[in-house]
Amino acid sequence: MRNERIMEHLESMLEPTQINTDAADLYDASADRYKKYAKARNVLDVPPPLAIVYPKSSEQVSDLLVFCNENLINVIPRAGKTATEGGLENWKEQTLVIDTKLLDKIIKIDTYNMQATVQAGVPLQELEDELRKEGFTTGHSPQSKPVAKFGGLVATRSIGQFSTLYGAIEDMVVGLECVFADGHICKIKNVPRRSGGPDIRHIAIGNEGTLCYITEVTVKIFKIYPENNTFLGYLIHDIDTGIKVLREVMVNGFRPSVARTYSEEDAAQHFYHFHKGHCVLLFMAEGPDLIVRATAKAIEEAVEKFQDGIIEQVDSKHIENWFNNLNWSQQDIDDEFEGMKEHDCHSGFTTEISADWETIPKIYYSVMKRVREEYPRAHDLTMLGGHSSHSYINGTNMYFVYNYDIRCAPEDEMRVYHHPLQRIIVEETLKLGGSMCHHHGIGKFRNEWTKQEHGSAYYMLEKLKEAFDPNGIMNFGTIFYQEAGAKYQ
Amino acid sequence: MHIICLVKFVPDVSAFNYDYNTSSMVNTHTKMVLNPDDVHALSFALQVKRKWPETYLEVVSMASPSVTVYMHDLLRLSVDKGTLLSDPLYAGSDTYATSEVLGTYLKGQHYDCIITGSRSLDGATSQVPAQIAQMLGLDHLLDITEVDMNHLSSNEAQCTVETDTEIQTWSIQMPAVLSFARNSRAKLPYPTFEALQKDVSGKLFMISNQDLGLKRDSVGLEGSLTKVVHTYEAENMSRAKTVVGVNDEGIDLLVQFLEKRGYL
Repeated sequence: MRNERIMEHLESMLEPTQINTDAADLYDASADRYKKYAKARNVLDVPPPLAIVYPKSSEQVSDLLVFCNENLINVIPRAGKTATEGGLENWKEQTLVIDTKLLDKIIKIDTYNMQATVQAGVPLQELEDELRKEGFTTGHSPQSKPVAKFGGLVATRSIGQFSTLYGAIEDMVVGLECVFADGHICKIKNVPRRSGGPDIRHIAIGNEGTLCYITEVTVKIFKIYPENNTFLGYLIHDIDTGIKVLREVMVNGFRPSVARTYSEEDAAQHFYHFHKGHCVLLFMAEGPDLIVRATAKAIEEAVEKFQDGIIEQVDSKHIENWFNNLNWSQQDIDDEFEGMKEHDCHSGFTTEISADWETIPKIYYSVMKRVREEYPRAHDLTMLGGHSSHSYINGTNMYFVYNYDIRCAPEDEMRVYHHPLQRIIVEETLKLGGSMCHHHGIGKFRNEWTKQEHGSAYYMLEKLKEAFDPNGIMNFGTIFYQEAGAKYQ
Repeated sequence: MHIICLVKFVPDVSAFNYDYNTSSMVNTHTKMVLNPDDVHALSFALQVKRKWPETYLEVVSMASPSVTVYMHDLLRLSVDKGTLLSDPLYAGSDTYATSEVLGTYLKGQHYDCIITGSRSLDGATSQVPAQIAQMLGLDHLLDITEVDMNHLSSNEAQCTVETDTEIQTWSIQMPAVLSFARNSRAKLPYPTFEALQKDVSGKLFMISNQDLGLKRDSVGLEGSLTKVVHTYEAENMSRAKTVVGVNDEGIDLLVQFLEKRGYL
């Protein structure tokens, strides 16, 4: 179908205010934060979408998907635009971005049954603010909280800074509504638990817009006790000590809301006022008073057990202040964008992986060794380090963080800097049995390893794609490798 | 035209870390950058090469072998040849001994023009260009801000020099030593992706003291005429950061700070 005909059809389906063809907005919609430097420098190599559309209901989403499915038009579902792995990047000439902007209602806050239902375009911060008025919280606090919206949070299997206590988004979602490429609207009801066959919520959670479009979400809510918040921080000799203490706390059955350890390099950029050139270990305990006190005591005992690796305790005020200023605002994102127009540097690129307790230090040191020995632009790195920020009873994550000066054309930045580093991290992680993506999703730039990530279980993922998106219109290139998209990688 | 560009790699002062407890610089992992004045000189040389592709451009640096990766990066910018004058004997050389090494190498080379930055970020004496010019018997212009590309040949160059009080235009006979003032707008071009993949090690030549044949007592610390009488810590480096909260106490402290310095 020709582009003009597509636009005519859209105009017959939607009001004019629901269709956006502004050139600057389309340029912005052609890529997400993955290629933020190239985007800031106006050198993106991917095509813009034909239009951004704003449906007002699940039925309108359904109509749009049916139209796209019948005419083989690529669809990119979009919510808060905080994606970091290329999930919102466009690789097709004919693409519609279906944005959740007008799906913006908080449908119900049910404090008796401890759950809240929202449309996909509701910002997390908005629900959180409403809940706080009544002494509750979502328990979900990703760094992007002020900007991120529920549709995106669920579609990417988001995680928040307090996940060790509250869990990640998949632990919070009670039920949801989603629309498939053929227009079928599915509503998964809200119950505490069921054993009605496989848990079909997980077809939608983490699908990254490749299987369905999420329109509504119901999440658990939690009582909040901010007056009990307790912060503990330590300078430590090495990241191994930090991981050992984290493990000790977790396997003994305690759930601090925050449990993190940082390498020297990463600590230096986060905790300039107290790191003293050392690794950092920190905790936050929250909840009812007795639980907080027991958790804090367990942390102190774990620290005592590994005291040979502990240098000194840090004033808890430092930890508290740091947490209070951790989230990005839209202003921070805009400032970063403007900064990249002026400076040839990139700060805070990350690749996040996970593995069991035994394996995570091995991955960390293998990656550091390979980067030092193999990476030809190591002299442009201004920082390379990492931290563990989400722990479980059987393991933890590792957030590799790197900053670098950019000494190449802006359009070459990713293949000169980020991609070779990401490749080393992913290869070492997969080789040692970890997961190549802990919480950012696969997006479009780790799709070449999706098969390796899942191994024999990739069969299930592939069959889901065949069943729910047989025409391949849902977010081309995300999760599933596409030869035709390789030119953009 | 045959241009030799002298460059120096200096510690990136913007990336220094400071240990406020021990009041000392943390030099581990200090990165090196091309001296900003030399960036101006080299960007000019690359402009000349772009306009007259037959121009032959050689970059020369006196440094330890650790700068090899940085020299390789310059060789990816259509620089024809790189020369690294490197020998353990040269460690600790002052500007005089450095000029001795560079001048000895240059005496044996063909060139129409020697260009460099006026000052180095870590020394700022501007002695090296003048000393080299003297050793080679060439004219020298300091703090050039611009060279008129329409009046540039292997015989003559028309240059603009800015002083505190005036802007001067000079015509200088080639060969000569042209040293460039810092220009924050001067930037080196980006190497292409293809250039970044190239092995350029064959274009980099390592020259040791065995090649130059300088006497041991004329280079390094022994050959240096500069005698350090005293060193002291710059006052501004001892200032500690104070982090205040957004509360009455923090606001009071900030107001007192601003009042004390006359801002309020």
